[in-house]
Amino acid sequence: MEEQNNKDEQLTNAQLELQADAAGPGEVKRISYAGLIARRFFRQKSAVVGLTILAILVLLAIFGPFICKYDYTDPDFTAINVAPNARHWFGTDGGGFDLFACVVHGLGRSLVIGLTYAILTTAISAIVGTAIAYARGWGEKIGMWLLDMLLVIPSFLLVAMIVRAASGTQGWIMLILGLTAFGWIGYARTLRTMALSLRERDYVRAAKYMGVPSIKIILRHLIPNLGSILVIDTVLCVISGINSETAYSFLGLGIKAPDTSLGYILSQGSSAMLSAPWIVLIPSVVLIILCVSMQLIGDGLRDAFDPYSRAAGEVADEESKKDEAKKAAAAAAGNAAGSHHE
Amino acid sequence: MARFLGYLAKRIVNYIVMIFVATSLTYFLACAFMSPRSNYESRTPRPSQESIEASLDKANLNDKTPVTERYQRWLTNIVTEWNWGLSPAGDSVNNEISSRIGASVKLMLLSTILSIVIGVSLGVYTAQRQYQWQDRFWSGLASVFLVIPTVVLAILIVFFAIEINQQTGQRIFYVTGLSSYDGPNFFIGLIDFLQHILLPTIVLTIISSVGYHLNQRTYLLDEMHADYVRTARAKGLTKKQAIRKHALRASLIPTSVNVAFSIASIFTGAVMTEKIFAIHGMGEYFINCINNNNINGAVAVAAFSGACTLLGALLADLFAAALDPRIKMS
Repeated sequence: MEEQNNKDEQLTNAQLELQADAAGPGEVKRISYAGLIARRFFRQKSAVVGLTILAILVLLAIFGPFICKYDYTDPDFTAINVAPNARHWFGTDGGGFDLFACVVHGLGRSLVIGLTYAILTTAISAIVGTAIAYARGWGEKIGMWLLDMLLVIPSFLLVAMIVRAASGTQGWIMLILGLTAFGWIGYARTLRTMALSLRERDYVRAAKYMGVPSIKIILRHLIPNLGSILVIDTVLCVISGINSETAYSFLGLGIKAPDTSLGYILSQGSSAMLSAPWIVLIPSVVLIILCVSMQLIGDGLRDAFDPYSRAAGEVADEESKKDEAKKAAAAAAGNAAGSHHE
Repeated sequence: MARFLGYLAKRIVNYIVMIFVATSLTYFLACAFMSPRSNYESRTPRPSQESIEASLDKANLNDKTPVTERYQRWLTNIVTEWNWGLSPAGDSVNNEISSRIGASVKLMLLSTILSIVIGVSLGVYTAQRQYQWQDRFWSGLASVFLVIPTVVLAILIVFFAIEINQQTGQRIFYVTGLSSYDGPNFFIGLIDFLQHILLPTIVLTIISSVGYHLNQRTYLLDEMHADYVRTARAKGLTKKQAIRKHALRASLIPTSVNVAFSIASIFTGAVMTEKIFAIHGMGEYFINCINNNNINGAVAVAAFSGACTLLGALLADLFAAALDPRIKMS
């Protein structure tokens, strides 16, 4: 009797499947990998908040110069060191420069430097890191020795030496180049460790025995399989790029007058902290908002790529939802009992 | 034991070669990008050409001498006399560095100890309460502090300290230097020192304890879900006992590696904090070297930091070998 029932059920299930197939692909919503990640990303409130803030900041950096009456290069001598007011939204500094114009320009600089640095650094470190892992043997040994050797001297020193020689207006390009030249080394080391398990995969071996050139294997098989890590790294790398720009410009080594950046404004304002606190506070707040929004996006991406995270969402019908609730209640009760014993 | 010593010797030789190559590269880079000549040429009144050449030659910084020749002379002085050369102004780099290490150690020692203690304990605390409000609060705070630029953090702390000073009408916090009292009274001196060191210590402690906190949290969470902890629980240990006796110990091994690197960084100082609080330590010396085209000074700082980093790496290996029974020296 029971067997009969089971058979019936199986039949009906099979029939259902057949019906579903017959209904065509329109019935099943297919979703690309990128679409899936995007859906998981947007499921998280904090990530959406981060992305919104970043979008606002980017819009501000692009359109800010057009809505502001003043340029960051021409001072208003009738208003020197004035607090934020209707004419100068963020006030002016000791030279009469409109702080809103300066901050907007500096924000643009920070974003450009951070993004370019992050993309270049990630690209270089991905190629070098996986290439060293793929090389094996002596190539790997020599590569690792070179990486370790380059890491011995703090890159802060080397970058400072290079960017200090740059001139005022081209300084930001030099800063990107200098930061990138020594910023990829640590990442390359990490990515090499990640690639160690990838190089043992069957598809890599298969490609190798089919005579695919090494460069192609690295670019087509190894790096794409690190994709999720690379995307997250790039976002977090933007933060370190922005931090470095601020640090160098503050020290007077990175971006210098007549150009301006958030770090440069901070260094100018720090000497007049008592008489004109807004010069220091406004760029600080902008920097904090910028970095925190990038951090929120990075965390959101990490969760979106992680198949075990809660961002994956729950797909459940009514019946199993009830089951889940029951299980959760039981577990909570069990926990309570357990903690009682402790 | 003999094998262990052999391993250690091999490591040290490798590190010395690394420092040598890296420092030499830095020397050539510095020679290419810094021009001590401009220090003299920008002076008013401009010194005579002969005196410029003579001063540059004396400091072994003349860019008209081939760089290989200068490098050779620089290296010979270091190897034979441990003399790291002269600044463009003619001061000995050795003296300047040795007088500045003390200030950096004074600044870094307290904050390093504090950040390890605070960071690790917060990490353990939050890992045990994963996803509870304490964890969310502290870890959220940590990830905010993680991304705030050091400059911004330091400037904001200085700003609020000055505000407090003005509100109370007293100088509670000092924001520059390490001491301003020169008298014989030890206790006044100590209080004066504490007033000076408090703010930079807060900045440095926040920056580095955040790293310890987040790392320790991850390490402990990894260990808490390991099989051997479940075994311990199954044998009847409470969750707290299992964590304290088993998971915590294992999770401290990777932390000890970080501690090793921190110990080494005590001597190299902190660039941004020293600059903002006007502390004359190694970090500030490095900035001055760059700004004054002091090639010999900058290279010496690079070599010194390199040596400290590798000392940290060596310590890390030793710590890991002492704590982790799975590691064999080979």
